[in-house]
Amino acid sequence: MSDIDDSEGVLHESLEHSLENVEADIYVDSEDVVGDIEKEKITTDVVKESEIVGYRQQPGKLPFSKPGSGGKNRFSKPTDYSRIPRSQGGSLEQPWGAHRHDDLISGQVIGKSTSLVDSNWKVTGQAKYGDDIRLPGEVIGRILRSPHHYARVLSIDISKALDLPGVLGIATGDDAPGKFGVLPVTKDEHAMAVEKVRHVGDLVACVAAIDEPTAREACRLIEVEYEVLDSIHDIKQGLEDSENPIHDRGKYHIGESNVQKRVFQQFGNISEMKDSSVASHDSDWTFTGVNHGFTEPHAVVAHWDPSGRLTLYTPQQVPHYLHRALADVLDIPMHQINVYRTFVGGGFGGKSDPFPHEMCAAILARKTGRPVRINFDREEVFWVNRGRHPSKISMSLHADSEGRLCGIETDALIDGGAFASFGHVTTYYNGVLHTAPYEIGAFHYTGARVWTNKPASGAMRGHGAVNSRCAVETGIDDLAEQLGVDPIDFRLANLLPPHSATITGFRVTSIGMRECLERVKEESGWDEKFRKMPLGKGIGIGCGFFISGSGLPIHWDPNKFPHATVHLKIDMDGGVTVHTGAADIGQGSDTVVAQSVAEVLGLPLDMIRVRSRESDTSPVDLGSYSSRVTFMNANAAISAAMEIRNELLEATSEITGSNIEGLVIGDRRIFNKRDPAVGVSYLEALHKAQEDRGALVSSGSYRTPPMGRAHKGAAAGLAPAYSFSAYVAEVDVDIETGQTKVEKVWAAHDCGKALNPLAVEGQIIGSCHMGMGQVLSEEMKYGRTGHLLNPDFLDYKIPTVHEMPEVTPIIVESNDPEGPFGAKEAGEGPLLPILPAVVNAVYDAIGVRVSELPITPDRLYKAIEKRCRSEGVKEPLDLEPPRLELTALQEILQSRAINHSRRDKERRLTDSPSPYHNGALFGLDPEIPGDEQDSRWAAVVIPPDDYLEDPGLAGSAWKHTERRHRSDVE
Amino acid sequence: MKEQNTQVVDCSGKYVVQYSLPMVPGPDKVRWNATVNGVNVDFFIDSNAILLDVLRDQGGSLGTKRGCDMGTCGCCSVMINGTPKLSCLVLAQEARSSSITTVEGLSSGHYLHPIQQTFAECGGSQCGFCTPGFLVVSAALLERNPSPTKAEIKTAIEGNLCRCTGYQQIVESISKASEILVSGKGIDDSTSSKSDPHPGFSGGLS
Repeated sequence: MSDIDDSEGVLHESLEHSLENVEADIYVDSEDVVGDIEKEKITTDVVKESEIVGYRQQPGKLPFSKPGSGGKNRFSKPTDYSRIPRSQGGSLEQPWGAHRHDDLISGQVIGKSTSLVDSNWKVTGQAKYGDDIRLPGEVIGRILRSPHHYARVLSIDISKALDLPGVLGIATGDDAPGKFGVLPVTKDEHAMAVEKVRHVGDLVACVAAIDEPTAREACRLIEVEYEVLDSIHDIKQGLEDSENPIHDRGKYHIGESNVQKRVFQQFGNISEMKDSSVASHDSDWTFTGVNHGFTEPHAVVAHWDPSGRLTLYTPQQVPHYLHRALADVLDIPMHQINVYRTFVGGGFGGKSDPFPHEMCAAILARKTGRPVRINFDREEVFWVNRGRHPSKISMSLHADSEGRLCGIETDALIDGGAFASFGHVTTYYNGVLHTAPYEIGAFHYTGARVWTNKPASGAMRGHGAVNSRCAVETGIDDLAEQLGVDPIDFRLANLLPPHSATITGFRVTSIGMRECLERVKEESGWDEKFRKMPLGKGIGIGCGFFISGSGLPIHWDPNKFPHATVHLKIDMDGGVTVHTGAADIGQGSDTVVAQSVAEVLGLPLDMIRVRSRESDTSPVDLGSYSSRVTFMNANAAISAAMEIRNELLEATSEITGSNIEGLVIGDRRIFNKRDPAVGVSYLEALHKAQEDRGALVSSGSYRTPPMGRAHKGAAAGLAPAYSFSAYVAEVDVDIETGQTKVEKVWAAHDCGKALNPLAVEGQIIGSCHMGMGQVLSEEMKYGRTGHLLNPDFLDYKIPTVHEMPEVTPIIVESNDPEGPFGAKEAGEGPLLPILPAVVNAVYDAIGVRVSELPITPDRLYKAIEKRCRSEGVKEPLDLEPPRLELTALQEILQSRAINHSRRDKERRLTDSPSPYHNGALFGLDPEIPGDEQDSRWAAVVIPPDDYLEDPGLAGSAWKHTERRHRSDVE
Repeated sequence: MKEQNTQVVDCSGKYVVQYSLPMVPGPDKVRWNATVNGVNVDFFIDSNAILLDVLRDQGGSLGTKRGCDMGTCGCCSVMINGTPKLSCLVLAQEARSSSITTVEGLSSGHYLHPIQQTFAECGGSQCGFCTPGFLVVSAALLERNPSPTKAEIKTAIEGNLCRCTGYQQIVESISKASEILVSGKGIDDSTSSKSDPHPGFSGGLS
């Protein structure tokens, strides 16, 4: 009680003091004084004392937190004006202009390096991942997997296994014949084999037993009779007609082949552009498959509670899509299922499908009436896979005499493995995601994804864009060399401006590509190093472009459903409960949502508690994929917080008599902009707003604006914003062994606005690590009989700390007009440039252009030997490193880059810039889309007959006719 | 020991076997004791049990993670008598009567070990799954060598895989923790505008 007396004493004493000194002391820079003065100012000037009685301690009651703080610290911190944007009277520079969220900045947390809100759970070992969920009475689930690549399942005899003591239940494909898949158009997976198994490791049956040895033994006792079918492992073979296609798509089946998806896209007249070119690059790339390599193997716990509802605990990136799939497969309504997302031990796209083992756990739990836990070993993770597609990509690039990129021709054949997964989208992304950041004269893309009898490929960080981006950027390096210009200057002279449209009609809003290139050029000392280093040392550049959220949700029902929704609830304790379905997979989405709410309401981060785990309590969110979470969820969180903010402002206005327009929010305090001493504490305003209604609740959501064109496939690659990045890598190649070591990387990424720079830097460096793995060491190796040779971390080589270069992350902030506080994505885009940067640096070091990844020593040494032979050099050490002699074009490009730089700065600062469509650089009117001016620029999405006479590899998929268009099929 | 299994008809009309002991020729149970995070424990374990399983399933240390089961990822690292070991490659019986420290044993009460503070503050932990292993290994390093060089830090963590951070922020976290240990000064809490600083949870040593 003495505490209370004291505080009231202080209040009265300083009240008198303040009456005399209000003018002099207003808003002094000391925490201790400010709180008191604020308090007094209100009581003396504006509000009658009786009105604040409610906030005083009532005699005889337990101590209740002091006004404003929500804790023992009652004092508000003065606003830090260096964090308030210029447009709001602060001193934070805004070189990219003002933003629509500027007036919401309270200087609390946005832009500050912030540790993840759940980091203390992780560092104390208390974070619960999939296998850490232990429910009373649990039993262990185990999966029987196919030993054959491709076989018909003739019979399954479970009787012996069932007789094994300790076995509580066994399920097979008959228990759940329903199909599912992450994309509604390609549902082709079953919980367990129905009719056929399609790859080694495909699920056949599952067992629940009292412990793991028993479950394993039971799996051994299950007798399965197979009829082995001819399997397909070569990606090219998938293009041909087959007696037993791996899946049957009914009337939509493409020929009798294993082509799952094919794409044809043509914009602009490629042959004319080719004729006008003076330099061309052609390459045929082979990319092997890579796996996400997250450290946490898949694990799941299923529990049917006594009221008959299913709770499924699983580390998932897309709990909502799983929710839908579970309802389909288990044949129960969605509201009977609670999907509980545990901590996720790394996802990177590898946990973004509904998985068969999740269905198995639920089925077994229903059978046995007990909680079932299934935990994978590392080998099983490789059987599930969903890693990056192995692919064969032919890339042709053309440049004209003015140094413009007048044509891109891409042919991508990608190996989907046994299931569709995200394949539909991947097939588009391999093409459409390299139509920017450059202005191009014509674009021609053919893509095909085929089924083979391997574990399914799927979405992996940089989904669909990584391999073809590598081919494009190394091609540009070659073009620049042929033209005798610096590759960075070549890029700078060919960039799209802000607020423009790409050749495929994507809407580019903010673009910080130019700044990224300029920063890495400067910081790496490019001009002193490029083509000037001794043999074996090299430097290379690569760029990237990636979506920040996908324009359309995967499920289109109901059509106008938001992509992200956030609910807020604030009760009288002042803490804010945030309900969001955003899946935090370690990237820090909980933190970003908490930051956004904290910023808008002017609260310290620990007053925000994020509840994002359970579908029972979280509003629907589409999940963590397509780099959508920060953009969409933070936007939804901001709009939810704005509702509360308005209520707080109204309450403050009522208490203080100030106009709402004149009020601003600072740290736990709402005050008059002109006279900061007039204001109330957060808690006072809150309690006023809660009068007669109790807790404040609000809901905010985000949906993408209408965008894009109308041609088939126009929606693939559409995003509300795009991120850009440019990396420079410096490598050291041991010429005699072919061993490549990346020494340094300068990594510039345009993330719009770094809401949490610590996390953005972490994403950039982490992306470098993952991309480095793909370019130098990681590879899913299949042997001659089609078996995966390295399903473990001994042989699947993830870079260790010794392989990591020194990465200098450079954050470029282009302040996206629609992003939350200007932010865009930073999770996937930063991976793209590291591959081509390393490949180009290897060329700079030894003059060898590789076209197969990873660049292992044996592959590179073979390429070095080949160069030696072709040049008649005996010793690799006598090779000459490539050198650059600049031509007259260099100056033309430089001056064009300067003009464009000026143009871009003007465009980004004007409120309503005039339209700019790709093609202006080639003489078209920038204000009208190319296809409306000239029929040759129209989108063509069905291959013309003359193309089919001599198609590319993937293009040959178009030789097949869909069954529904064929007369020989019923 | 072997119990007769009973068959019961379940709701779908199929026979299922109800709850009984496994018939699989199993290992013997042996008595096992050790000090886990300062507490003496005494269990009956399978004679062939792996230490990781004993710690997770019986020792209550779910913070010790299973990533690969074959000593390649380092997630399961624990200290056995002060030396970091991969618990998935240690037979529990080998560690009998030893003193084992897992990630849960690094802090003292609510007071975090400096290495835990810096992993949170410097971005050393993203998804957090590999974090327990890294923490144990680096805590062991700092105990031996409170001010390691960058090369020494890298050597200490070379057996641990992290797929999120690219190691750079992990190395920074360890350097920072070493600074704290050497200087005795705490670090700034990056979420510092806390309404009410958590006593002991951040900032300042125990």
